[in-house]
Amino acid sequence: MRETFTKGMARNIYYGGGIFFFLVLIGLTVDTVRSLPKTDNSQNLTELVIEGKRVWEVNNCIGCHTLLGEGAYFAPELGNVYTRFGESTESIKAFIKYRPVEGIPGRRSMPQFNLTEEELEAVAQFLKYTDGIKTARDWPPNIQG
Amino acid sequence: MNTNELQLKRAASSSLLSLLNLTFLPVLAFISLLFIYTKTESNTIDRYYVVLGIKTNLLAAVALLLMTGLMILLGGFDSPWTWVFVISYFVFVHAMFILFASWAMVRSWTGKKLKRQFLSK
Amino acid sequence: MKYESQGIAKMYFIAAIALFVGQILFGVTMGLQYVMGDFLFPEIPFNVARMVHTNLLIVWLLFGFMGSAYFLVPEEAERELYAPWLAKLMFWIFLVAGALTILGYLLVPYARLAELTMNDLLPTMGREFLEQPTITKIGIVIVALAFIYNIGMTVLTGRKTVINVVLLTGLVGLAVFFLFSFYNPDNLVMDKYFWWFVVHLWVEGVWELIMASLLAYVLIKVTGVDREVIEKWLYIIIAMALISGLVGTGHHFFWIGTPDYWQWLGSIFSALEPIPFFMMTLFAFNVVNKRRRDHPNKAAVLWALGTAVMAFLGAGVWGFLHTLAPINFYTHGTQITAAHGHMAFYGAYVMVVLTMISYSMPLMRGQKAANVTAQKIEIWSFWTMTLSMVAITLFLTAAGVMQVYLQRYSADPLPFMVVQDKLAVFYWLREVAGLIFLSGLFLYLYSFFAKGEEVKLVEE
Repeated sequence: MRETFTKGMARNIYYGGGIFFFLVLIGLTVDTVRSLPKTDNSQNLTELVIEGKRVWEVNNCIGCHTLLGEGAYFAPELGNVYTRFGESTESIKAFIKYRPVEGIPGRRSMPQFNLTEEELEAVAQFLKYTDGIKTARDWPPNIQG
Repeated sequence: MNTNELQLKRAASSSLLSLLNLTFLPVLAFISLLFIYTKTESNTIDRYYVVLGIKTNLLAAVALLLMTGLMILLGGFDSPWTWVFVISYFVFVHAMFILFASWAMVRSWTGKKLKRQFLSK
Repeated sequence: MKYESQGIAKMYFIAAIALFVGQILFGVTMGLQYVMGDFLFPEIPFNVARMVHTNLLIVWLLFGFMGSAYFLVPEEAERELYAPWLAKLMFWIFLVAGALTILGYLLVPYARLAELTMNDLLPTMGREFLEQPTITKIGIVIVALAFIYNIGMTVLTGRKTVINVVLLTGLVGLAVFFLFSFYNPDNLVMDKYFWWFVVHLWVEGVWELIMASLLAYVLIKVTGVDREVIEKWLYIIIAMALISGLVGTGHHFFWIGTPDYWQWLGSIFSALEPIPFFMMTLFAFNVVNKRRRDHPNKAAVLWALGTAVMAFLGAGVWGFLHTLAPINFYTHGTQITAAHGHMAFYGAYVMVVLTMISYSMPLMRGQKAANVTAQKIEIWSFWTMTLSMVAITLFLTAAGVMQVYLQRYSADPLPFMVVQDKLAVFYWLREVAGLIFLSGLFLYLYSFFAKGEEVKLVEE
């Protein structure tokens, strides 16, 4: 076998396979992007939600939480927090707003980010929009995330 | 093909089957190993590797199937602790067997027995 | 060392190791925060520590890859580096940019850092692993381009070997896919989808090309096995890496609002992803078994074998463990992911850089191999770090299984924080293993300074 399988053949598999599957990935990407509007909740992507995504980003929320299962694993999943908090953006806002500055002795706690009312509303709306994304099999498995 | 080449070929197939029995073809590969055993003679390299493969896989069966079976039996199917031990143990020990069988396979390709250290002294 | 400009690698490696120490210090800090939630709060909250931990990892691995390329490419190309001054200049630019970014994370709140660096002009911050301010990202691109130009010109005007061409391809891929970090659409699903074009196509794509070529290079050097044989293995390994890994990106598209077919595609192709890593193990075992000489640098041989084995375990086995969609449904975003991440990064990328350092550092210091004592200490540090990383992985796996059971699988699922409290015992054990890892790292540092009997040189 070793005599018949040459370096040239190995090289061709590398180039051929690499290029072929890269093209497959591009094709699948085009198809995915086209079919996203069915699931991505983009109809609710308002200016406020976009601002909320920025608030989410510049406070590095992903550094502790997961969002649709991606991020850090230190704090709860937030992709379904809107449902978990009884479909109330007010509860989400209140939670963020009243974090103690010095934390809770001995326990993990969320920093006090001193967000403005507008930022609070925006990030809550962003989390509501995220909850509206139709994930396969309605992931996460249950309300606890 | 002379005897020596045939033996080397069988040694390589045995070590491959040993690895396959641990991964893609459990049971089937083991039966093939037993079949190869009947064709080998004592004190040959192919006998050495077919016996090694059989021993490795019997040990693996005990270490993986019997041990995890016992863990489930003793720990109970509904206890999270059972699965903590079973999954961590199974994944790790299974991987160790695969690594061992891989090293054996690489050795069999050069027609040498297992002995000889990874890094010479 | 055949070419003088190979020596530039030394400064890159020293920086890499220094940042590695920083990374681990923040790692054990976070490990403690997992069980003592108020540790260093609010001065260094978890998210900041994590950002420093992961970003230092990325930056020091990049230093390691660049250093490796500067050492390897001139020798393979059989000429001096195209522009040594550029390599030195880029070193300082990258180091200063990296240091300023880390200081920025630590000294000002992240939101303030975003403001100071004018994130609003081109918002790219605040996504996992891509937390760097936009201006730092631009800096990374500039450094990468200058680096690739330098390496590329050296390869193109010199001898082209399979190793340096594959390495160059990997490095170009690294730079190209990093450009996706500038694309941050408002649509969260799109954002997540293309975020993986950086993260997955790096670590399960082009980085594998870099890793395989570095490993192949060291194995040629330490075993004396015929280049033809090694190059054939290299091609087939990276072929399998791309064939499985490109569409294998789909294992990240199960639950983020992307079409259902990804569950099939992602599962099937990523189930093949252990194959290239397994072949790397066979490759390393095979060439070490068939070696034509016993290289005096035993530590480097050990690192090379260790890389192949640990990459297979961490990336291959622990990746496969949770890559099938029906399993990932329960394990996605739990400590299982953390377990896999730790062992895969250590086994594949940390260890391959340490392999290159182990092989090349003595040569740059004018020796064939480090002295007997130094090698002994280095080998001790290998086992300390590697075994404690195995322990970290096992404890996180155990934590993950428990977490999945209590929070996801059970008929009466418990809240996240309640479950976390129940995992404390695993987190304590992980922290102890982390501290042992840190001690192994100190041992590793010490190995560079240990004096002892020179190795006997057996010329081949």
